[in-house]
Formats: sequence, C-alpha cells, structure tokens
Amino acid sequence: MKTVPPPCPEPETGPQYWRSLEQLAETPAFQEWLEREFPDGASEWTDPVSRRHFVRIMSASFLLMGVGLTTGCRRPEEKILPFTKQPPGYTHGVPQYFATAMPLRGSATPLLVKSYDGRPVKLEGNPEHPLNRRPDGPAHGGTDAITQASILNLYDPDRAQRFTYKGENVAREKALDALAAAGKAALAGQGRGLAWLSGRSSSPSQLRLLEELRQRFPQARGYVYEPVDFDIHRQAATLTFGESVKPRYHLEKARRILALDCDFIGSENDAWHLIGGFARGRRLESPSDPLNRLYVVEPVMSLTGTNADHRLRLPASQVFPFLAAMFAEFMDLARAADTTPGAADFAAGLKERARSLSAEARKWASACLKDLAAHPGEVVVLAGHRQPLAVHVLANAMNFYLQGAGRTVSWIAAPEPPAGTIQELAAALDAGEIETLVILGGNPVYDAPADLDWAATQRKAKTIFRLGYHEDETAAVCDWHLPEAHYLESWGDARTLDGTLVPVQPLIEPLFGGLTALEVLARLGGLPAVKPYEIVRETFRHIAGADAFDEKWKRFLHDGHLPDSAAKTVTPQDVNWSAAAPAVLAGPALPAPGPQALEVVFLRDAKVDDGRFNNNGWLQELPDPITKLTWDNALLVSPATARALGVYRVRDHYIGNAISLKTRMPVVKIELAGRSIEAPVWVQPGMADHVLGLTLGYGRLRTGRVGKGAGYNAYALRTAAAPYIAAGAKAAAAGRDYELATTQNHWAMKGRPIIREANLAEYEKNRRFARAMDMPEPKLGARPIYPNPLEEAARTAPHQWAMSIDLGQCVGCAACVIACQSENNIPIVGKEQVGRNREMHWMRLDRYYLGPEEHPQVVQQPMLCQHCEAAPCENVCPVNATVHDQEGLNVMVYNRCVGTRYCSNNCPYKVRRFNFFDYNRRPLDQLYRSPLTSFNDGEWELKRWFKNPDRGSRPQDEWDLLKLARNPDVTVRMRGVMEKCTFCVQRLEQAKIAQKVRAGASGDTTVKEGAVKTACQQACPAEAITFGNLKDPHSAVSRARAHERTYMVLDYLATKPRVTYLARVRNPNPEMPDYHETPLSTREYLDHGGMLHGHGPEPHGESAAAHAEQKGGH
Amino acid sequence: MSDVFPKWTNKLPTFVLVAAAAAGTAVVAGSWYYFTPKYTRVGYQPLQPVSFSHHIHVEQLGMDCRYCHDGVEKSYHSNIPSSTLCMNCHNQVLKDDPRLALVRESAGTGKPVPWVWIHKTPDYVFFNHAVHVNRGISCVHCHGQINLMDEVQHAKPLSMAFCLECHRQPEAFIRPPGQVFNLNWQPESPTKQLADGARLVREWKVEKLENCSACHR
Repeated sequence: MKTVPPPCPEPETGPQYWRSLEQLAETPAFQEWLEREFPDGASEWTDPVSRRHFVRIMSASFLLMGVGLTTGCRRPEEKILPFTKQPPGYTHGVPQYFATAMPLRGSATPLLVKSYDGRPVKLEGNPEHPLNRRPDGPAHGGTDAITQASILNLYDPDRAQRFTYKGENVAREKALDALAAAGKAALAGQGRGLAWLSGRSSSPSQLRLLEELRQRFPQARGYVYEPVDFDIHRQAATLTFGESVKPRYHLEKARRILALDCDFIGSENDAWHLIGGFARGRRLESPSDPLNRLYVVEPVMSLTGTNADHRLRLPASQVFPFLAAMFAEFMDLARAADTTPGAADFAAGLKERARSLSAEARKWASACLKDLAAHPGEVVVLAGHRQPLAVHVLANAMNFYLQGAGRTVSWIAAPEPPAGTIQELAAALDAGEIETLVILGGNPVYDAPADLDWAATQRKAKTIFRLGYHEDETAAVCDWHLPEAHYLESWGDARTLDGTLVPVQPLIEPLFGGLTALEVLARLGGLPAVKPYEIVRETFRHIAGADAFDEKWKRFLHDGHLPDSAAKTVTPQDVNWSAAAPAVLAGPALPAPGPQALEVVFLRDAKVDDGRFNNNGWLQELPDPITKLTWDNALLVSPATARALGVYRVRDHYIGNAISLKTRMPVVKIELAGRSIEAPVWVQPGMADHVLGLTLGYGRLRTGRVGKGAGYNAYALRTAAAPYIAAGAKAAAAGRDYELATTQNHWAMKGRPIIREANLAEYEKNRRFARAMDMPEPKLGARPIYPNPLEEAARTAPHQWAMSIDLGQCVGCAACVIACQSENNIPIVGKEQVGRNREMHWMRLDRYYLGPEEHPQVVQQPMLCQHCEAAPCENVCPVNATVHDQEGLNVMVYNRCVGTRYCSNNCPYKVRRFNFFDYNRRPLDQLYRSPLTSFNDGEWELKRWFKNPDRGSRPQDEWDLLKLARNPDVTVRMRGVMEKCTFCVQRLEQAKIAQKVRAGASGDTTVKEGAVKTACQQACPAEAITFGNLKDPHSAVSRARAHERTYMVLDYLATKPRVTYLARVRNPNPEMPDYHETPLSTREYLDHGGMLHGHGPEPHGESAAAHAEQKGGH
Repeated sequence: MSDVFPKWTNKLPTFVLVAAAAAGTAVVAGSWYYFTPKYTRVGYQPLQPVSFSHHIHVEQLGMDCRYCHDGVEKSYHSNIPSSTLCMNCHNQVLKDDPRLALVRESAGTGKPVPWVWIHKTPDYVFFNHAVHVNRGISCVHCHGQINLMDEVQHAKPLSMAFCLECHRQPEAFIRPPGQVFNLNWQPESPTKQLADGARLVREWKVEKLENCSACHR
C-alpha cells in the first residue's frame, strides 16, 4: 500500500495555497506543492482521474488535513534555532570549565565550574590551586557541602531581582544615581555622617576601594560585622606574637591534634582544606604507616568529635580552665618557672583560673598533655571560633612551644585594616551621627546582637542603601535596596587561606542585573572605574605588576590563582608575653554551669551557616551530619539535662527500634538575660551536661518560599557581650510538642558488622580483622546450569567499574551528598515528605552511636547503591527496568519503570529512592493535589496540563530558574519512577565517548585511570572515595579492593557489591582515662557473638569473572 | 415458558466474541503498522523557511558535511550552521537572491532562522554524534542519502530497533574512517563489507553495545 503521509500544517512563511478545490486542481502551485510534500504520492496525480474520484479522494485527505491541523499530524512542528553568529571556540553540547572562587568571609574556596550553554551547572574544586596540589599523588580539589549547594542560590527565585526605594520598584539608573548623589553629598563634609557596614572579605579589590574611600572621605567610618566571625584567629595570633599574623594549619603533618571546641571538620573556616590535611594523616596502607591521633574537647557533639580518638565533653566555658590547667602543667613540665621571670606568677594565675575544672577533666588533660609533649614538632592545638581570646592565645603559645612553627602550623602575614564593630556603629547611630549608611550584604536586622535592638537602631540613619541578595529583614528597614549579584555572576577577587590571590570570575551575566560590592563602593566614592572587571584588573596590576600584564591576567583567569602570591610566612621569635599574659588572665573565670544556670552555646549551623543559606532547598533538606534533622533546628541537650528538665522522651531510637521518622519532641522555653525563645528539644548523646546548644540561621522572619517556617531564631537570645557562649540561662518545658523531620531514627547497629573498626594495636596484631568479621555466606547448593552472561561481558568489556570508600578518611561532612544532588538533578521533597522517609538523596550518611549515651563513640558511613553483581533488585523488576550492564553497573532505565517498587523492597541496603510525587514540577506544598479538580492561578489544572504537559505547576519565576539549575546530561525523573546512584553513568559515558573519539581509528578505548571521577569522589575533601576500573590491576580501586582492610557491607547476603569499604582504624592512647581496648562498635559486635579471628575468606581483589572461574561458577 | 429472548440473540455471544477479536486484531495490527516510527517518521519532509538544497551544496559544489555541521565530530549535537556561516559564501554568491532573504535578514538582525526540526529522538534517549562519526559510522546510515536530497526528508525510522540493528552487528555498517563523510561510498560487496567490518571491529575494539545505559541514562 502506498504510504501517503498526512499533510503537515503550513509553515509560517510561504504562499497561501488554495481558495477552492477547482483552483487547487488546476494551479501549478498546487502541483509543485504536491510534488514536494508527497514525493512518493505525487505520481498518483499524473494518472488521469475522473472529477468524481478526485473529489472523493481530495475531500478525504482534506478531512485528514483538517483533522491534522487541529490535533497536529505526526508530531507538533518544532523549530531548531541555531546561532546567527557562532561564538568562537564554542561547541554546543561540550561543557566549558572556568576557574573562579567562592568568597566566604575572610577566605575563599577555589573552584572549577562546569558551564553548559553559558550557564553554570556544577561546582568542583580547582585542582590547579596550590592548596590542592598533592606531593604524593594527583591534585584533588575538594569542596564542602555549603560550597556545592551555593550554586542553587544563583537560581533562587526568591533572590532580590529589582531595585527598590522604600519597597517600591525603581529604575536601576535612579538607584545608582541616588548612590552617586549620596557620595557626592558626603564629599562636601569630607564624609562626615557617611558609614558603611560590610562583612569580612579577603578581596584585595574591596580593600583597595575601601582605602580609596577612606582617603576621599576621611571622616567616614567603616564597620565590619559577621555574626559568626573567624577573625579571632588573627586577633589572637597577632596579640600572641606582636606581629600581624594569622595561623595556617598543616594538619597533614600533625601526628597529634588537640581540638578545643574547634569543629575544624564542620564549622570552622576553610573546613574543606583542614579535612583534607586531617584525612591525609589517617591514610593507612599498613599498620606501620603514621596515623594521627585526635583529641577533642567540646560541649556539643560535632563532626570533629565523631572523628576523635579521645573526646572529653566539657561545657564551653570550661574549655579555658581546661587549657589553663594544661598549660600550667606544660610550664611545669618544661620548668619554665626556672628560666623565665614572671612565669611562676603566670602559672599560678592559670592554676587559679582552672579551679572549676573537674578531677576527671584534669586527669584527661594531664594524660593528653603527656602525649602532646612527647611529639614536639608534630603537634597542633586548635581553638575554635567560639572560644574567648584567652584560649586562642594559649593555643598559639602551645603550638609555638611544641615546636609546631613551620611544621604543623605556620603564621602568615595578615594585615587587617581598621574597622569598627557593630556595637560602635549602634552607638554612632544612637548618637545621630550617621546620615548615610551603606550596608554591603549581610543581614544585620536578623543577626545583629539582640541587645542592640538593631531594627530600630538602623532606622536612625537618615538614608540607608543596602546591597542585598534577598529582600529580607534588613531590606525592610532600608531606603534603597540594590540587588546583589551572586559570586557566579560577579567579577571580583579574593584570597584563599594561604593568601594566594584567586579570581572570582562570572560564569553568566547577572540574571537580574545585580551589583557587586565593588561596584557599589566605586559608585559611592565617585571613582572613575565602576565596572568590577576594571576594578579587579586594576588591583591585579598593583599586585602582579604591569609588565606582561595581559599574559599574566589571562593565565590568572585560566589557572584560577596567581602563582607565588601566598602570604609570607613569619617566624616568630617568641611569644609576646608582655601582651599575651595579661590578655589570658584578664576577665573573671566563668563558673561551670549548673541546673539553674545553664550555659548556652550558639553554633554555626552545618547547613544554613549563619542564616545566609536559609532559603537554599538542598541545604535545608540535607540531614544535619550529627542529628540528621532536616528543615528545622533544635535545641540540643544532653540526656541528663533532658531528664532534669523533664523532657527526656524515650523514643527507643537509641536502643534500635526504628519508629516514625516524624518525631514529636517537647518544646522548651529558654530564658537568658531577660529574653526568651521557645525551641523543640533534641536529646544529643555525648553532649556536656547543663549546656544548651542553639543553632543559628533559622527562624527567619522574612525569607523565601523554602526557608519559611523553618526552625526557631536563636539570634533573639544572642547579645554582643556573649555572642557564642552565654551563662545563666534557664529552661523549662513549654507544654507543647513540635514535629521534627529526621532521616535516620535508628541509631544502633545492634552488633552487625556494618561499620568495622579496630584500634591500631589490634590492627597490628590482626591484619585481616575486617574480613574476619564477615559472616558466613549461605550455601548456594548446586551450581547454576546456565552460564552467567555477565561473566562473558566482564571478559570483553574494557572497563569494570568499582568504588572503594575508606572509612578511616571519611569524616562525615556530607559534601558528597550535595555534590550528588547537584550532578544528578535530585529534587527536594519538603519536610512533610522527609517525615515519611521519602527524601531523595542517592547518597546518604548513616551515623551510629555506640556505647553509653553520655559519652558514646560515633561512626559514620556513606551509603549508596552498591551496584551488586548479584543484585537483588534486578531479579524482581517485572518490566526489566533495572538491568546490569556489561561494565558492572546496575543500570536504572527510567522510561521503562512503572513504579512497582519491588526493587526497593528487595534492596538490603535501602538505597533506592522512589519519586512518590512529582517533586520537580509541583510546588512542595501541593503534592497531594488532585490534577482533576484543582484550580490554580485562575486556571484549571487539566487545562494547563493540556496546553503544555511538560510545564508543571510551579510558579513561572521558580520554573524558569529551576530549569537552569538542571544538569542536561541527566534525565529529570517524574513521579512513579525509581532512581538510585548510577555511579554517575553520564560521566562514565562522557569519558568513554571522549576516549573513543580520541582513539578514532584505533583500539585505545580504555578510559585512563583518573580520567573520570564520580561527583561524590570529586567533591570529597578527604579523598575518601576511590573509583575506577577493576580490570586495570594497577588502578587505585583495584589496589584498594585487594587491601586487607577491605570489606563489603552485608557480605553474608552474597550480593557481591562493587562498592567496598576500608575499615576504620582508631588510634587511642592507652594512658588516657577513657581508653577503650576495642572500639565500642567492635565491642558490641563481639558481645553479639562475633569473631575477630578465624576464617579468612578470599580476598576481593579478583574481578567477578576470574572469581567465578576459580570457584567453578559458585 | 415463552421466549423471553428472540432467536437471533443466540448468535449474539459468538458474534460479539468474533467482532471483539477482529477489532482487537485490527487495533493491534493498525498500531503495529501505523504508529511505529517506520510509518510515522519516514517520509517526514516539512517545508523549511529557506529552501536549502543539500544536493546543490554537497553534490554539485562538493562541500564537506563538517563545513556547516562542525560540531558533529566534537559533541553529541550536530549543529545547524549559523546564518553568518551561510553568508560566508552568500554575501557574494546569489547576493540578492530572494530565496536567501531570510538568511540575510537573520545574519543582519541576529534573529535566528527558524528551521523545522526533522530528526529528533525522544528526551530519554541520549545520542552522541561524535562517537559515531569518529568510529566509522557514516551520516548516510541514519540520515539516508541526504547529499542527494533537495529538501531534507526523514529517511530512516530512528527507532530503537533501528539503532539495535547496527549495535548488534556493527561490522555490517562500519566503514573506513576516511569514507564516513563520503555519502556516496558503497562497499564492494556485502561479503567484503562484513569482512572489512569485522576486521575494523576487532582492531578498533568496537563494542556491541546493547546495554540500556549506553543510550538511556
């Protein structure tokens, strides 16, 4: 039968073809058209036909055409719109990479950003940066969770998009003119009445501009305020040594680390770099390799505490007495009193300050000191940003006297221009001295100390200009609001922690015409150069010199750093005791907290920071690394304190019964210095007693659709005098409950060897302890009759992918979780759905507590699809949507999946995530809405769907930006489809394709080692994840898999996973009072009848095929 | 009892069953024939805004495919050329021809020429051009004799079965790398194609990719 395709709708251009059938038959145009549209059918018309026959056929086809015109023929006509002018060097479909940096407070994280079609989609660390170079291996640029999630802020629909004056839209020019006019007006009075408030910044351009402004406006005043400020490190080091320096730590060289309320893995500055150094000190090929030892003293369980070999829980106010006692003993050990005048008095003063320390803590301090003193040059003492200056000074002194200078710590030059504090600004405002206030970023109305009453105080300025990223609480109390550009849209510069200059390069034009701080300052000062690009270039000229400028500038942008621009290392001769000693002994000793006078510790949140990422959906949904809470913050209390308050709710979680993840917790009212807030309680094992841990950054009054209603506002209790540690709080149950959503409600392993660990001493004696903990596999009976097709495939395929995760190096920072979410278009589901265990993270971190709840040991494990060779999920799919490919991946085919969920049922690791609702296309508060009856925005849902099925029902502004954030290489999954980790199959395919394209007419098709990295592997700052080709016996993953510490999780189920773990090795000190001979998880395992010695099954080194050959198909 | 039902209702169940079977078969057969890509896609030849003839440019003028579709060797996407690329020649050749008015206007104003999209795979298929053209698969295998077309027509079904034909037997289609863009090249004989193809598959380690993750991610 001749296939006559139905005619297609007429194109936009082209003549109208017919007015009547007769004309149609006779016009040559019709003949021509016929010839073209129906190439095969055209011949039919050359045969003579009768008019009747003609009419019959034509009417039929016109009917079809009529039908076709209304419903569309084959498929709707779609257009391709190419460039009119191809940008040079750009090929559509090939991503471009640009080096930039994420500035955060006084530092920056060097980044390499992947850009598709002129928009950034994924952030990675920049391996070219000197901080990321490795002496013993390939460079690795790690990042952290907050950095990975910062790209979503760029596409935040709630960001400031307009220029406003007193809340009303104004034109951009008008706002900029007003800014320039304010500057000009201030010029007349030499800047009297002009003030600016900014956050900490390492940007040399900003410093240069501020200096120019200071010269132009000698009477103007600059203030700096950061709610969570890390500048104390610099202040203390400067005071200690009498020179403007700040410490820079080389944790990879440290064998003994003492962290005093210093969560350097989680909430200190540049955690990504410190994690890298710390993890390198935990790398163990064999027991004889050097292994570091971490001592942690802290009030609240932090990530650093979970990685500690010894942990002392101590209220934050008691850390100074602790260090005082230790330092005094150190002085005694070193017989300082004999040699240094005034030392004896100082030691006596310290001992006086240490009065409130408990005997247990004293013993701990003493044993710890002995260990530290035995390793001079390999020790580092870290003090956290919450601790007062005295602690930092003593820590710096200890580092100096323990000969850490130039080894575990270097003091680098860090000049800091003078700036006032927010208290001084408040005083100036109260005195009516400020006419024009320019606020650059920040959110002081939300996070300024509560005793300043900042909202009212700020309003005392006559004119307020505010450059802000969101129209938030501060925007409500200002006159002119200027939208800020995201760092991915801005030209700027910054310095990383070592002082190296890095560019902040835009990946995209400002989406909403935002400004950078540089531009605002330049316009305020009436400077000739207002474009940030020119400003940054000018600064670069000052720093790098003017000769060969363009070449150096291009290289600067290409590499992402300026070589040899690190800050100079200063070698202090001695501690400047004349200034340091009085600083240490200044101020009264804070008493230990008690049941009636609780201590409040204000914590920087691991996810939303100080509140700046409050509207970031990925971070809100990221389970807190310790509490696993999402979408809320809670009041952290120790079990004993909870009991004392009467809010200890037995939830069975600690014993190990998983119950509903929607946890109802009692709400507690906290009173501090006349202010009070209410917060839900969270019982935190391992916390110090009589301490209340409050996390900052939640309870925002004016935030976007994501952050609305999340958590309580801890800033309401925070005063300028006690910003981190406050004493004298009272707490009482408020008589109501609050529902919290947590992703992990079972906290016990119940003796199963899921996470395996041993002390170093045990590892030395029993090298294969990890494999000894395997449970025997079930006897599989007779050999299978049919050969396994995968074995044949494994022989011929060029790659066999596998992954190895070193639990000794993984610190639990969750950078991998967010990196995976960013790379694979994983949606967020909202608090209510998280409460039903429907969070979509493909990679999760399981956290278990072992031992008594007052001072437990904590272990973390990243869990992802194990890509089992004998996958339980593959057998049970009724539609064959999950299959095994020839390279060992367990592949998920979304378009085949019908949503039976049998695969998730069968998965023993529970790593499969199901899209219960249309999380991508529906707003999260309308997931349950029926499409048949709902009416939204003046339109019936069905009608809206009919017009455009792909559109979804999110508001247009959200939808437009959401699309930009997606990675085009990965399918965006719909409701009813299962998904799980794919080993970043899109990256594997890209790598294989790139290798084949390079190979061309040759057989060099194997991807080279290190050419492809999964998203989690690339983001991990600890380099804990190894991924590669098992067929290559020299690849890192092959070696890791053959390692003696390697084991498989749930090995006895014989799933033969491609993901293996390396058991953790703890390094406790036998002299310490809290020494455990075996780690508590191993203790629990042994108590449940486990064995540490005995059968040693075959190593995992061989590939599946070879293994099967050996065992005869077993 | 009197007759409740008339006599003809005796035949009704058989009739219904037969009719249902016939209807079902018709629906299945109809879908099988009319709704598969082989019918719905092959022959699609929409009217383009500019009547560009591949025959003139490739056969008569001898232009290489890659002059215009330069991304095909580097990227998954084989790009339609930009208007300024057309103007490289057409600012001199046929300078004022009315058929090229749209191209001139586009190159001048920056408004792209709205070409009608012909070859499209569903969104859940991730096809990569670069790996195919660099490894011996010619344009003609999927796009037909496009060098002889005056107006581009969808020549092959581009269904999954079509792709698997080659993926299961690459030696039947693979050609020497120099001939990939020579759309008129024919193997000397089918047996020679299979023999040479098998050799190339062996030398180049061409995989017979049938696993889902090769195209569906």
